[in-house]
Amino acid sequence: MTDASISVTQSVVEQFTERYLRSIGCSIERSDDHWLVSVPDDIDTEITHGRHTLIRGEGTPDDDDDRTKRLHPESAFFQQLLREAGERSPSGKLSIESESDIESPEWIQNSSVEVQSAQFTPYYDRTAIVVLFRVGIETVSEYQQQLLRAVAVDTRSEESLPKLAETFLGTTTVESESATSGAVQLTKTDVRPLLETARELLLESVQGQLDDIHREASRAADSEVEEYRQMQQQRIQELQEEHSNLSSKINDLSEKINTGDEDSRVQALRERKELKSEYEELDETLNELQERRDSGFPNRQREIRERHSLDVQVTPLTLTEVEYERGEIDFELIDGSIHQTVTLGYGSGIGVADTVRCSSCERELTERNPLQTISDGLECQSCTKER
Amino acid sequence: MSGYDLVDIEVTHESADDLLDSLSEDGTDGSHLQSIQAVRLQAGQPDSELRSLKELDENAVKLLEHQVDAAYRALFEMDGKALLADEVGLGKTIEVGMILKEMHFRETDESVLILTPAQLAKQWQAELREKFGLDFVCNYDDEFEDFDAHNYIIASIDTAKSERHRQTVLDRDWDVLVLDEAHYVKNEETDRYDLIDRLSYNYAFFLTATPIQNELTDLYNVVSLLRPGLFGTRDVFHHYFVNSNQETLVNRDELQDRLNKVMIRNRREDTDIDFTDRTIDTRTFDPTPKERELYQAVSDYVKGAYSQDQGQKLVLMLLQKEVVSSPVALKKTIEKRLYDQSELTHADELESILDLIDEIDTVTKQERLLDIVEEARDNVEMGRVIVFTQFRATQQQILDRLASEGYTVHAFHGGHSSSEKEQIVEDFEEEGGILVSTDAMSEGRNLQFCNILVNLDLPWNPMRVEQRIGRVHRIGQKRDVFIFNMALKDTVEEYVLERLYHKIDLFQQSVGELSSILSRLEESGTSFEDEIFERLVAADSEVDLENDFDAMAVDLQEQRELADKLEEFNSGVFEGFDLGESDD
Repeated sequence: MTDASISVTQSVVEQFTERYLRSIGCSIERSDDHWLVSVPDDIDTEITHGRHTLIRGEGTPDDDDDRTKRLHPESAFFQQLLREAGERSPSGKLSIESESDIESPEWIQNSSVEVQSAQFTPYYDRTAIVVLFRVGIETVSEYQQQLLRAVAVDTRSEESLPKLAETFLGTTTVESESATSGAVQLTKTDVRPLLETARELLLESVQGQLDDIHREASRAADSEVEEYRQMQQQRIQELQEEHSNLSSKINDLSEKINTGDEDSRVQALRERKELKSEYEELDETLNELQERRDSGFPNRQREIRERHSLDVQVTPLTLTEVEYERGEIDFELIDGSIHQTVTLGYGSGIGVADTVRCSSCERELTERNPLQTISDGLECQSCTKER
Repeated sequence: MSGYDLVDIEVTHESADDLLDSLSEDGTDGSHLQSIQAVRLQAGQPDSELRSLKELDENAVKLLEHQVDAAYRALFEMDGKALLADEVGLGKTIEVGMILKEMHFRETDESVLILTPAQLAKQWQAELREKFGLDFVCNYDDEFEDFDAHNYIIASIDTAKSERHRQTVLDRDWDVLVLDEAHYVKNEETDRYDLIDRLSYNYAFFLTATPIQNELTDLYNVVSLLRPGLFGTRDVFHHYFVNSNQETLVNRDELQDRLNKVMIRNRREDTDIDFTDRTIDTRTFDPTPKERELYQAVSDYVKGAYSQDQGQKLVLMLLQKEVVSSPVALKKTIEKRLYDQSELTHADELESILDLIDEIDTVTKQERLLDIVEEARDNVEMGRVIVFTQFRATQQQILDRLASEGYTVHAFHGGHSSSEKEQIVEDFEEEGGILVSTDAMSEGRNLQFCNILVNLDLPWNPMRVEQRIGRVHRIGQKRDVFIFNMALKDTVEEYVLERLYHKIDLFQQSVGELSSILSRLEESGTSFEDEIFERLVAADSEVDLENDFDAMAVDLQEQRELADKLEEFNSGVFEGFDLGESDD
């Protein structure tokens, strides 16, 4: 599934800004490197009312003041404009006309058989919703990732319509000027269950990416656990050395106690006592550390793994009711001197809705297994190859 | 790898209440479409196009598709931290130039540090200036003060890590770090590695054609400097990607996926680079008896003076080079030495050299040059020939001589302003004739409209020779290129030419190939010019000298073979690795 984001070039910035400002009632006088924008007092916008100068392209931020703004992909003014426009009308309606280009299925496009004509006969109107979701994925080890995805669901059957989502993206680029029409017919009650379905479909569609990031995060966590383990192992070794040093010092003192004179015996006894308590403390620390090591540092592991967990946030940003038509399409196919007409279920914006199988081997016709010949029904490439 | 399921995924669905509430609102016509567009733009990458491309001068640099792609990917897909590992000769410097140009355009390059092997620093400086209009100070420039005194610096990595500069380099937060021949930091126990590891920077571009030098962990070290953690710990990398005998990679797909995030490697066969042929014609001439006498006198003087005072090395080296260029070049330096320094030892020797100079009335090389330009006048479009010399005095004499023979001549040297230089090149293109140039040209323009080049004398630095040739033999040259080398028999020049340059096939090497040989040489702590000079003055006899030069040639040959082998080895390791952008 393709990402729904649009890359923000300077020309796109200017195109969108001009159209948006005019649509809310501003006027613009354009000249080479700057625009003079008048924002009438009575319009509802966060942009300061009155006259402004918009300077095209980048420059130092110092140039910005109340009346002079920079216009480029990263400028504060443009970002403000996007926020405002995005929130202005997050739901609406759009219709996909049956006159829009007819697209033949990939199993025909990839074959040598040609389409001589195609005739779509719409039988009934259908409605779908298309939701734009923002998916934010955050972990400690990777950069935060944001995806924008369009999901389309038929309102009656709740079936997923990936082709329609693609058509939706194609008709809502910055180049398109008018594609919406009228008020939304669906109510909140209609939409809630559809939104649920759309969320599920969305998660399915981003599963691949989530898996990748999950794998990265797991790997980063593993390395950290491993590093921690190595560090502790080193610490254990150090403690063991210290442990054996103390032990031999204690032995030396015991020797002294047995052989020395009174004064040195008392002194040695005192020292041995101190060392023994130090030894016991060390022994305890060492045992504890070894135990933790033997059980695989469970707390530390948990803490590391928790810290590396993936936080996925799904936010629906816009919801569009899309009207489309369903019916039948007749493709007139031609292969040399042979003609054949195929009738298939079709929808505007969703393309061919039927699965078609090879008339000889019953295998499904797909992009990779396209139509090979129409001389005897619709025969696929695989079965012609096998012959 | 283990632990895959031990890291949780938590999905939170944000409330849709606001969105649902908006269902009942009546938007104006088109406002919903604008909301959709705005949301899509907000999610988009701000302008991922190379905006500075149109600013580049097409005459100065011809960009190839793989270079533009590499610059784009390094900047926008790798977040400005990339290992550029194209095969030799595909223009990694150009890729970095484009990256730096773009960053300059976007004003994200307040401080840039380029670290290179010493021998390549000036070459980098020239290329960035000439092709991208980017001005850097080089640590070999007089104006260079220290690493905190300039914002755009090209320096040899060894200068940067030296005790004198190290702390200054480390104290600064650099916006951009470029590291050429990055394989020299492969060993984590060296000062070089330590320097790069401690440097603070936002963006980094490492260059190498051979990321792997000895073993596959080299790759781990270089990549880990750029992207710590990409390969996990050293042990993990070892266990997972390298088979036990260190020679092959395992789990290639996974390694490729991860390398793809940080490394770009273009292969020659995937690019459309195509050079025309080069023909090399080396002509050695018998000097006249007077010239031979002069040569011998100068060589004896240099040898004697150097054995007494090694501090005079530079000027002695200069004399030795001038004597084979032209008597007039030599004369200037000797006069200067005689009259500027009152307490000069050997003054009488110098005086007698001056006498010998005055006795010379035929300068062999200049006479023979006439043969070449004469031939060109008859056979080449507008008789265009470029003659290179290292010395202004020689240049002037040749210009006078050629003009007196009725040739159209043009002079080019470092003393011209840059608009004058442009005019000279333009005149040369329009009027044809002969352009006599000093090496100031090698850092200058592109002359692919001319295809005949004469080396009247030869720099002792192979890089300089290649720079000269690079003026005419470059992408855009449509004809075969002819290089004439002129040398006098039994002189240092003949040794350098015959014994060294031809041995390493210098005249057929690209800058990239040469860089890898020279930087290998530098690794072993040797400067080419010094090496030549030391051998020259140390030899006791003719036979000694020949043997010395042969030994040096063997060294070079070895370095060259090693460089070739490494390149082959890396190709082998990465073979079957599709390191291009993936399609999904």
